[in-house]
Order: sequence, then structure tokens, then C-alpha cells
Amino acid sequence: MSATTTSTPAATVTTADAERRTARRSVPGWLRPTVWLPLVVMLAVLAVLWQIGATAMPYLLPPLPAVGETLATQLPYYLQNAGITLAESLVGLAIGFLAAFVLAVLTSELPIVRRAVMPIAIVLNVTPLVAIAPALVVAFGFGPLPKLVITALICFFPILINTAAGLRSVPQPVLQVYRTIDASRFEMLVHLRIPNALPFVFAALRIVFPLSIIGAVVAELSASGSTGGLGTVISTASSMNQLAVVYAAIAILAVMGVVLLGLITLVERRVLHWHRTAND
Amino acid sequence: MTTSAVRVDAVRKVYGSGPSAMVALDDARLTIEPGKFVSLIGPSGCGKSTLLRLVAGLEPADRGDVRVHGVTPAQACAAKLIGLVPQTPALLPWLTVLQNVSLAARVNPGAGRRRAAIDDLEERGTGAGPDMRELLRMAGLGEAMDKLPAQLSGGMQQRAAIVRAFGLRPDVLLMDEPFSALDEFTRESLQDQLLDLWDELRTTVLFVTHSVSEAVRMSDTVVVMAPRPGRIVDVIDIDLPRPRNQRLFEEQRFHEYEDLVRTRLHSAWRTADAA
Repeated sequence: MSATTTSTPAATVTTADAERRTARRSVPGWLRPTVWLPLVVMLAVLAVLWQIGATAMPYLLPPLPAVGETLATQLPYYLQNAGITLAESLVGLAIGFLAAFVLAVLTSELPIVRRAVMPIAIVLNVTPLVAIAPALVVAFGFGPLPKLVITALICFFPILINTAAGLRSVPQPVLQVYRTIDASRFEMLVHLRIPNALPFVFAALRIVFPLSIIGAVVAELSASGSTGGLGTVISTASSMNQLAVVYAAIAILAVMGVVLLGLITLVERRVLHWHRTAND
Repeated sequence: MTTSAVRVDAVRKVYGSGPSAMVALDDARLTIEPGKFVSLIGPSGCGKSTLLRLVAGLEPADRGDVRVHGVTPAQACAAKLIGLVPQTPALLPWLTVLQNVSLAARVNPGAGRRRAAIDDLEERGTGAGPDMRELLRMAGLGEAMDKLPAQLSGGMQQRAAIVRAFGLRPDVLLMDEPFSALDEFTRESLQDQLLDLWDELRTTVLFVTHSVSEAVRMSDTVVVMAPRPGRIVDVIDIDLPRPRNQRLFEEQRFHEYEDLVRTRLHSAWRTADAA
């Protein structure tokens, strides 16, 4: 009799334990306080520090409610300019991507092209694009063209280098198997090199999506008085001392970068499911 | 008289130049008749892998002549006479096992025409080639054919690589220490399966190994090689009945052949050291 009374509570404890464990497992990881709480606390601390700074130096930092207010009341204005900047960065990125990808294929197939192009590409990469931007505005005017050129240029190099590395990194034994069945260069490119380069291409895209926004904004900043975009909003507002507007535009740029990075991560997961399996 | 499947005549291969030059292969002569299973065995640096790469057309010989069914290795590759199984499985990680096996069969579609132009080759028959699904099932990969290589064990990956080579219906199958990275049990079961596939599809095999018992068990002929300079020192015919299953290990003659190969390897090693 005493054996049953002692065993029953023990059994209850284990079931409750198991229930708690399953409950914990069914909650997504990011909903757990241990995951989100540190970030929330950190943000709260930063916000308080910001408010203290804004009260002490009203000419350097706008109060956060003011930033929130201009975002809320003039949202269409911000969204319209964000759309312009986003369009510039995405079209510029697409142009840079196409050019870099084609050139990467050419350099990996033809050593002559590699020797001719790579040194120039490297010099281009170490030249600060912020310095080239004003010159390009002089050359191409205040329209969208210099923005696309700058964004394309800033995206070009990481894609070229990564893609070229990926195309060349097919393992030797694989190449030997396909050489002994005399696969043509085109077959090797399509079936071996390009799929092999995809993880490298996505690594480049993760770098280049945020860069493309930088390119577009830098171009807008150098072409003051141009046709809009968040860079123009920032330069106009800062010249008129509208600090709340400046920081509202900056906040939108940050959100834009995060969303783009999230999108590219989603696409990467779908396309490269085999790569994750291979690396697990 | 049909042409030999592989003929290597007075071949020399040197890597590097000047005082650091290494003679990987010197005056190598070897003839392999169609349908034979031939192993190359020897210590590292004896040129066995070099010899295989020369036959595969992956490197040119410095001197001498290599022929595969009477044509040069390059022509043999163009006609897809050769199937290669490297040391690592070398599967494409983004394709399933079935897609990996089928892709190799699909590239170079002009090979059939070029093969038909070569004399003395056994008629392959027309049709779409072997059924890859059936081959994979024979190799015990029926369940795995829609999986990615990373989801398989090392032994299964190497089996897939062997099926990929057999799926080409090669006239000469070249295998470069295909089981050396596997554990003992996996290796023995893969040897069994390779012999089964080979019994079924009868192709010439040139098999590089550093395991004496593997060489004796699998081969019609064992070619003993020695280093510095890399050369062929002996050719031993293995006169044991087939099929060679696990019972072979109990046979006295099997162990006598093992001892013979080992003795030849050791004496070659001693002469090389004395020189």
C-alpha cells in the first residue's frame, strides 16, 4: 500500500515535467523571454540614453516622439521617397549583378579575360566610391542614371570575386570524372561550375543588398536637388535643421536594409537547401 | 585477334625538372585483355595512380604509347569508352543519387557515334542505355536514389559513384583506390557488390589498390609495382575460381597468392632501397 502512495506522486511529477517540456518545445524559439528579453532591455536603455541626450543637446538629437510624429503624420511622403531609393538600389544591383556574373563566367573560362579584367576590378574596388560619386553626377546629370551607375559599381566587385571563386572551386575528382567522359566546356559550366558557384553567389548577395542601398543614398546625397529619394530627403532636411525628419529617413533606410536581407535569406534557404544539408 | 583493352608501351612520366625531378613511371609495359579484372598494387610513389591517370587521358606520357582499345586515351574519352571511379565519391551535392548517375550518362551525347567508328569494339546495341534505377537497385541503393549525397553514408556514396561509372557502360573501368577511405566491413561488402556488378556487366577493370588481399580477391591479374623510379616489377595471374565469395578466404590457395604478392612487393622494396 505504501508503495503505491509513494509511486503515484512521483509519476505525476514526471508527467508534469514532460508536459512542460513539450509546451516549451512547441513555442517558437524567439518567443521565449530568454531570447527576446536582452534585446528589449538593451533597446529600452538606448532609448532612455537618447532622450537624455536629446534633452541636453536639442540641436544635435531630436526627441524620439518627434521622430515618431513626423513618421506617423507624413508616412506617404517617406514611403514615396523610400520607393525611389529602393528602385534605384534594386535596378542598380540587377545591372551590377548581370555584368559581374557574365564577367565572372568569362574570366573563369578565358584566362586572357581574367588577366585583362581582374587588376582593373581590384583597383576599382579599393577606390572609394563616395569619391567617384560627385564626378559621376557631373558626367551623368541629376537624373536616375548616376544613381544606377554608382549602385551597380558598388555591387559589382563582391559579386565578381565571389562568383569567379565559386566557378573555379569545383573539386578536382569531380572535374576528372567529367573530363574522362569528355564533357564539353559548356556542359561543365552548366552542370558543374554554375551550380557549384551558387553558394558563393548568395554569400555575395547578402553583402551586396545592403551595399546597394548605400550606393543609392550616396548618389542621392552627391546630387542634391535631384528627383527625390531618402538621400535627398536627408540632405534637404539637414540643411533646414529638421533633425526629426533626418532621423526618420535614416530609420526607414535601416528597416529597408533589414527587410532586403531577410528576403535574400529566405530565397537562399529555398535555392540552397542542398547546401545546408551538406553542411549540417 | 581482337585489340587489347589497354596497352601501355615503354611509358615514362617525370614530374618536375632538374635535380628535384621525380621519375613517377619508367619503362612501364602492360597489356590488358578485354573483360579482365587487373589490379595495380605497390607502395606510395610507385606510380600506380600515375599509370591510371595516363590511361584515363588526364595526363600525357612523356615517352612511350598508351592505347585504349587501339585508340589514344583522348579519343577513348571522346567516345566514352572510359569510366572513372576516383578515391572520393565526387558526387554533385545538389543532385540526388539518381540525377548524379544519370547526368554522367547524359553528357557528351555524340560519344555513341564516335564509339561506333572505333574497330573491334563489342556491339553495345542501341537503346537508351542501362536502366539507372535498376542498376542502383542492384547496388543496394534502391531506397536512396532520391536522396542527396550528404544524406548517405560514405560507403553508399562510393557505391553511387561506382554505379555512375557502370551506368556509362564503359569498355574500361578505372578505379583509383575506391575503397581506401572506408571501414573494413563496408569495404568488404562493397567488394562483394563490385564483383556482382562486374559479373553482370563484364567490363575491363583497372583497379588501383594498396591492399594485398583486396587485389588477390578481386583480380584476374595483379600487377606489382615498386617506387624510385616507379615501375612494374611483376605480373601475377590469379588462378582462382569465380564467383569469389566469402568462402574464398578459407581457401589455402588464396593465402598462397597473398603471400606470393607480398614477397614480390618486399623484394622490390629491398632492391629499391639498395639502389
